[in-house]
Amino acid sequence: MTAPPTITLTVNGRTLECRRVPDDERLLDTLRWRLGLKGTKEGCRTGDCGACTVLVDGESVLSCLALTHTVEGSSLVTVEGIAAEPLGKAVVAAFQAEGAVQCGYCTPGFVVALTGLLKERGPKASREEILAALSGNLCRCTGYSPIIRATERLLEKHR
Amino acid sequence: MPFSLSTPKDPAEAFRLLVAGRPGETALLAGGTALLRDLDEGQNHATHLISLRKLPWNRHAWKGEALEIGSTEPLRTLENDPLVRARLPGLHQAIEAVGSVALRHRATLGGNLGRASPASDLIPVLLALEALVNLRSPRGQRVVDIEQFIISSRQTAREPDELIESVSIPRALPSAYVWQRVRPSNDISQVGVAVALGPPPGRWRVALGGVSPRPVRLPEAEEALVSRRPSEAEVELAAQAAARHAPFVTDRRATEGYRRRLVTTLVRRAVRSTAEHRARRAGPKGGR
Amino acid sequence: MIRSDLAAKLAGRTTFGADLDRPGMLWAALVLSPVAHGRIRRVDLSKVRKAPGVVVAITAPDVEKLLPKGSGDPERPVFPTREVLYRHQPIAAIAARTLSEARAAALLAEVDIDPLPIVDDIETVFPEWPEPSKKPNSAVVAHVHARHGDLEAAFREAEFVHSETYRTAGVHQVALETHACLAEVEGAIWRVTTSTQSPFSVREDLSSQLGLPESAVVVEGSWVGGGFGGKTSALLEPFALLLAAAAGAPVRLALSYREEFLLGRTTLPCVVRIESSVAKGRVTGRRVRMLLDCGSTMPSRDFATGYAITFLLGPYNVDTFEVEGYGLRTNKPPFGPHRAPLIPQLTFVIDSHMDSIARRLSVDPIAFRRAHVWHEGDSTALGQRIGPSGIDSALERAEKTVLRWRGNAPREHGFGIGVGYWSTGVSAGGEARLRLTPQELVIEQGEREIGSGSVVRGLVAVAERSLGLPASAIRVAYSDTASAPFDSGVFGSRTVGALGQAVQKASEELVRELEARTGTKGSLRLEFDGRSIRAVASGLRRPIAELLTPEELNEGGLKAHGKFYGPPMKFDESRVVAGSFYPVADVVGAVHLAEVSVDRETGAVKVHRYAAFHDVGVALDMAMVRAQVEGGVVMGLGTALTEESLWSSEGSLRNPGLLDYRLPRLNDVPPIEVYPVEGFPGAGPFGAKGVGEPPIIPVPAAVANAVADATGARVFELPLSPERVARALKLL
Repeated sequence: MTAPPTITLTVNGRTLECRRVPDDERLLDTLRWRLGLKGTKEGCRTGDCGACTVLVDGESVLSCLALTHTVEGSSLVTVEGIAAEPLGKAVVAAFQAEGAVQCGYCTPGFVVALTGLLKERGPKASREEILAALSGNLCRCTGYSPIIRATERLLEKHR
Repeated sequence: MPFSLSTPKDPAEAFRLLVAGRPGETALLAGGTALLRDLDEGQNHATHLISLRKLPWNRHAWKGEALEIGSTEPLRTLENDPLVRARLPGLHQAIEAVGSVALRHRATLGGNLGRASPASDLIPVLLALEALVNLRSPRGQRVVDIEQFIISSRQTAREPDELIESVSIPRALPSAYVWQRVRPSNDISQVGVAVALGPPPGRWRVALGGVSPRPVRLPEAEEALVSRRPSEAEVELAAQAAARHAPFVTDRRATEGYRRRLVTTLVRRAVRSTAEHRARRAGPKGGR
Repeated sequence: MIRSDLAAKLAGRTTFGADLDRPGMLWAALVLSPVAHGRIRRVDLSKVRKAPGVVVAITAPDVEKLLPKGSGDPERPVFPTREVLYRHQPIAAIAARTLSEARAAALLAEVDIDPLPIVDDIETVFPEWPEPSKKPNSAVVAHVHARHGDLEAAFREAEFVHSETYRTAGVHQVALETHACLAEVEGAIWRVTTSTQSPFSVREDLSSQLGLPESAVVVEGSWVGGGFGGKTSALLEPFALLLAAAAGAPVRLALSYREEFLLGRTTLPCVVRIESSVAKGRVTGRRVRMLLDCGSTMPSRDFATGYAITFLLGPYNVDTFEVEGYGLRTNKPPFGPHRAPLIPQLTFVIDSHMDSIARRLSVDPIAFRRAHVWHEGDSTALGQRIGPSGIDSALERAEKTVLRWRGNAPREHGFGIGVGYWSTGVSAGGEARLRLTPQELVIEQGEREIGSGSVVRGLVAVAERSLGLPASAIRVAYSDTASAPFDSGVFGSRTVGALGQAVQKASEELVRELEARTGTKGSLRLEFDGRSIRAVASGLRRPIAELLTPEELNEGGLKAHGKFYGPPMKFDESRVVAGSFYPVADVVGAVHLAEVSVDRETGAVKVHRYAAFHDVGVALDMAMVRAQVEGGVVMGLGTALTEESLWSSEGSLRNPGLLDYRLPRLNDVPPIEVYPVEGFPGAGPFGAKGVGEPPIIPVPAAVANAVADATGARVFELPLSPERVARALKLL
C-alpha cells in the first residue's frame, strides 16, 4: 500500500488536514471517528438508507460509499454545519415546526439531503420531484408524513 | 479486505497502472457506489483500485442529435440535462430508476456498464438505443456495439488493458423504460423493458432487463412491431413473443412465471408510451 | 411540537449507542456460525489471536475464566458449548485496535462443526397439520389449548362453516441504528452503556446470564436510534463485557446492518387455520389452530404462543370457541419482540376472515363487525370483562368515512377495514422520583427515550396535567440502573400508562406535601413564569423557594416518589386445557380504513388514502398521538405489502439488507388521516391509553380487505407482494 498522504478537506467552512488516511477509508468514518463529527450517522453502509448523507461541493453524497481520498480538496457540509446555510436553517426550522423527528437517527441525513435538493433544484422544483428525490432516505419512526409536511411548508415559503 | 488506491492524472498514467496490475486484483473505481459495496460484500476481491476521477471523462456532449456520455459523468448530471429528458425519454426514465439522488451524484454510466449487472436498469435502454461503447487502451481506440460489449453477468468485452472512455448514443429517439418492482421507490426491477422507435421510422427495438444472465434485445418482439403507431394486434404479438423468448429465471425477487406474465404488460406499456411520445412530438406543437 | 429532544437531534448533537466512544477503546467483532445446526468439534482462535491489532479473542471455554463466579446460566450460555442452533449464531468474539482489524481477524477463526439436520419449515415438521398433534414431537416447544362452550354443537347446527388457512411472513424491526454498546469493567463493576429500550431488563439478563449480582452490573441507556421491540433485552452486552474484562479496556461492539438482519430476534412465520360456524348472520363458534415458528430458542416461547393465540378471536363476541397453538423450534434466530409482535399478522388473519364471511353472507362488512364487536363489560377469550372500549364508536366513524370516500373515488378503487386491538403492558411496574426546585421540576426515571416521545413528552404531559406546570418547566432526567428508580422499560405501549401512573402518584405526593406546608387543601397547583415556580391555591401564591427547607434547596429540591405496580390479573382458568395463557391488561382498539387500487395486469397494490380511528382514551398530547399513528401505519404498510424475511433451505436469511428487505419509502406512503376516539377511558393517567403499538395492528388487514373489495380476490398470505396478488388474480 502506498504511504497514506495528507488530505485537505474543508468541512463546514473550516479547512482541515487529515494525516495518514488509509486508502480504503470511507468518508463516513473520517467524519465520525477521525474528525469526531458524529452527527453524520452510520446506517446500512450499503447506500440504501441515506442516514450518512453529506454535501460534497454542494451535492448530496452517501458518505458510506465515498472513499475519503476521492473527495480530497472538496468542500463538505455535514449536519453540524447545515444551519449555517440559510437553506439549511430553513429546513431545520421546518422539521422542528412539524415535529418531523422521532428517534432522530435518520434526521441528519434527511436534513442534509433536503437542503442539497433545494440548492440543486432551486425554488422552482415541484413538490412531486422533491418528494421522489427524498425517497432515498429511510425513516422507520415517523411514517414520513411530518417530513412531507415540513417539505411542503418549505416549498410553499419559497414560492 | 484492505485495498490501496491510485489516482492517475491522465489516461496514460491510468494505462500504466492498469497494465502493471494483475487482473482480479485490480478494479476500476468510477463513482464507487457499486464497487465499494461489492468489496464489502465479498463480491469483488480487488486489493488495488484505480480511481478514474481525474480523467477528463466526466462530461457529456451533444453533437446534433447524437449524445456522447463520458464514462465518469455522474448520472445525476445527465438526469438534470433537459435535453436528455426531451430527446431520450427512455434513458431519462432509466437513470431515474437507479438508486437515490445522492447515489446518482456519484454513480456513473461507465461504472454501471463495466459492472454489467443483469439487474441493471441502464443496460436495457442502451441496448434499445443501440449505444456504442468507446474503449481506449495503449493500443488505441475501438468502438464496440453495446450488444457485443455486454457478454454475460458481470462480464464485458473490455480487455484488461482497456478503459471505457465514453458511451455514444447515435441519435435522439422516442423511447421508454418501464419496470415492475415489489416496492415502487428505489428497488431492484423484477423486469425492465426498454423500447426505442427508429431509425428507420417504424423500426422498433425492444430490450429487457431482469433476465439471465444479461439484459437482451428481443428480435422476436421487434419483428412483430411493424408500424410507427402499432395496432393492438401488433403490440399483442410483440408482448407474446417477449414472454415466449425472454430468458427469465426464478430468483428471490420473482419467479420465472411471474416475470413472463409481467413482460407482456410492460412491453405493451413501453410501446404505447413511446408511440404517444412520438405522436406528441410530431403534433402541432411538438415538432422541432 | 413540544419535545425537548428535537433541537439536538436536528443539529446532530445527540449521542446514540452507535456514537459511543472512550479513550483507549477497543473495537469488537463477532465470529458467526457458518452452519444453521451442528455439533461443535473445535473452535480454534490461535490464528485470530496472532492477527494484527487483535488484543483478545474469546470463545466458550474462556467465559468461565472471566466471570467471578466461574460460570453463568447453563441454560443460556454466552457462546454455544456443544451445539449451534442457527446460522450466524455468535461463537466467538474479538477485540482489536480497529474495527477493520477485528473484522479481518474474525475471518481467521477455525471453526469445525459437524452439520446436523435442520428444521426450517414449520409445516413440514408438523405432519398432522392442521389437525392437532397426535404423538410427541420434539420440535414442539410450546403448546397452548383453550376452549369454551359447546363448539361441536355450534358447528353441527351452523348454516355453514367458513374455513380458511392464512400464512404470514417473518418481519424485522429494522431500527435505523443497529444494536450498539460500550462495555467497561472496573474492579467488581461491570458497566455497559447501550442502545436499549430497557436498561433494567438488560441488567436482569446480564446478571442471570453472567452469574453476577445485580449490584455489580450497571446499565446505562444511550439515546436509541429506534427500537420497535428489537432492543428490549440483552443481545451484544454479554460479549462486549466479557471482552472488556479480558482486555482490561473499554470495548465497543456494534452490529453491521447485515449482522443486524442475521442475528436480530424477529417475528417469524406463522400459519393459521381458522374456521367459523355461521348461523342467522352471526358467527356462533370458532376454531383456530396456529403453528408459530419460535426459532432456535426462546425463553418466552410460551408467552409468544399463549398470548398470541387469544388474539385470533379478535375484538369480537363469539359464544363458543376452541383455540390451539403450537410453538415450534426451528434453526433460525430466536423469535423476538416487535412492535405488537405478531399481532398485525394475526389481525390480518382474523379480520380478513371476518371480511370474508361478511362477503359470503353479502352483508356490509362494517355492519357485520359491529354486530360482533366488544363493548364495555363484554368478555375476552379468557373470560375477562373489558373496560370502556371505543372500537364500535371508531367503526361507526369509519363507516361514514367509507361512504364519503366512495363518493369521490374512481370506480375501480377498493376500500377495506381492519379492526384490531392491543393489550397494553400496563401491568409491568415502574417507579419515578420528582424533584421540585424553585426553577424546575425534574422527573427522575429509569427509561430511555426511543423516539416515540413517550418519555421525553409523555411523562412530561402527565406531570403537566397533574401539577398545572407547563412543559417548559419540566425536565426528564436519565441515569443508569445504579441510580435511577426501577422501571420495566419501553415496551407494550406502557410508558405513559404504567410509568406515567408512577409520575402521577409522585405528583400527588408532591402536592400533598406542599398543601401541608401551606395549610391549603384540594386545590394547589404550580405555576411557572418562565423563571421560577410558584405554588398557587385559593388565597395563596408563593414562590417554591419560600416553601423549601435549606436542605432541600441545597440538595436538589423537594422530592417525591411514586410507584406503580399493576395488580395481578385474573382470568377464567376453567377455559384452559393446556399451556400458559396471558390475560389482557388494558384493551386499546383501532379501526383503519384503506383505499387502494390494484393493477390488474401486474398485481401491484397502490394505497391512495388511509384513515386511522384510534381509541386513545384521553389524548394527553394530540400531536404525539398523531405521530405514533402515522409512523405505525407506515410500518404496518411494510408488513402488509413489501417486508418479508426470506429463508433458504440451509437456514440462511437470503435478504439480510435493505435492498431486498423492503421498508416503505417516502414516495410509497399515502396521505394518512388520524382521528382520535375519546370518551372511553383506559387504565393510564387521566384515562390515557397506550398508542405506540396499536397503529401497526390493523394495517395488513385493512389493505388486504381493500384489495378484496377492489378485485374480489382474497390474498391469504402476507405480504401482499405484486406477485402474490397476481396469483390471487389468477394472472399466473
